[in-house]
Amino acid sequence: MRRALFTFLVGLVGAALLHIALVLALPRFTGRDAYTRVLGLLEMDSFFPLAAEPGPTGLDNNDPFLRTAVCSFSIADAPARFIARGSVPFWSLSIFDSGSNEVFSMNDQTAVNGDLDLVVATPIQLVELRKMPPEALAQSIMIEMKDEEGYAVLRALAPLDSFEEQVRDFLTDSSCAPFRRQ
Amino acid sequence: MFRVPLLVALALLVAFGGGITSAIWALKATVGFGSIAIGPWVAFPEAQTVAADPYAKAHRARVGDLLYGGAEGLKFTAATDDTGARLSAACSYDISGMTPPARFWTLHTATTDGATLRPGSDLPSAVNSWTVLRAKDSSFVIHVSPVAQPDNWLAIRHTGNFQLVLTLLDTPTAGSSGLIDLAMPKIVKTGCGNA
Repeated sequence: MRRALFTFLVGLVGAALLHIALVLALPRFTGRDAYTRVLGLLEMDSFFPLAAEPGPTGLDNNDPFLRTAVCSFSIADAPARFIARGSVPFWSLSIFDSGSNEVFSMNDQTAVNGDLDLVVATPIQLVELRKMPPEALAQSIMIEMKDEEGYAVLRALAPLDSFEEQVRDFLTDSSCAPFRRQ
Repeated sequence: MFRVPLLVALALLVAFGGGITSAIWALKATVGFGSIAIGPWVAFPEAQTVAADPYAKAHRARVGDLLYGGAEGLKFTAATDDTGARLSAACSYDISGMTPPARFWTLHTATTDGATLRPGSDLPSAVNSWTVLRAKDSSFVIHVSPVAQPDNWLAIRHTGNFQLVLTLLDTPTAGSSGLIDLAMPKIVKTGCGNA
């Protein structure tokens, strides 16, 4: 009887260890985290507008009034630049790294003139950009990202149906591309 | 003779069975620690950050949602009414009061798994701070009901339980240190069935 009890306790300790190991290791191998889903859209370096119904990757416009576009990017070779212009009642952008951790987020009121112009660079690229700032980036917000891969989420608000077209234009005209000096 | 292998098997069974079920249960039951709860409304302002706890990270990796950044907004969900009873799609509820300060807010219904409910384009399935009808003091009452209601009506066409999702956009609440007095709308059941 005592041996059975002891065995049970050993099992419980094992269960606790396994529980901790599973929770800690899970983010690395679920295969359905946000970054993997964004990569599954197979659209690098451009914003991909999501539909209202979940596509094969399971991403959709969760909020009935927010239109979302996502873009996966890599800054291994060159910094990434995000541009969007247009008048929508509200837009917001978040940059996440490959572990889906927020690196940076902003909205139209924290932007220069209400336009999106953002450069994401590695620390080394950022030093170079600061040493010889290109004229094209005079108005840009520059942020540093340690991870070389990530994704961006751009949201625009359509509070009424009549804003739909404006918002669609805003998202399709937005760009997410590597920045290279001429 | 078979006692030792039997005991080893028992220990392994308890370890694997208990470990796996408890991990899955924990990730399904909660988004993690660090929630702010105001009445039935719950939000996780730090779930998308690197500072999120291991449960929050595992949960978001399993669900794979595009989370809101700190400057974007904060998503509150409510799965119960003010008395603590689960929201049932057969019942009617009144959501009344004010939201915390935000530039914009949206309200819609979702399944208990978080998938947005879309009752059809001919029914009002969501309201926002521009379209909601308000009283003179700018408070509002929204009727969430499977049957048509006057004033603000949020239609539900679903069976079983559902949850309410209130998203505050560009809100100081997301970075709240608890200094702002947050008042969320009340959720009160007004009746069930066709009555």
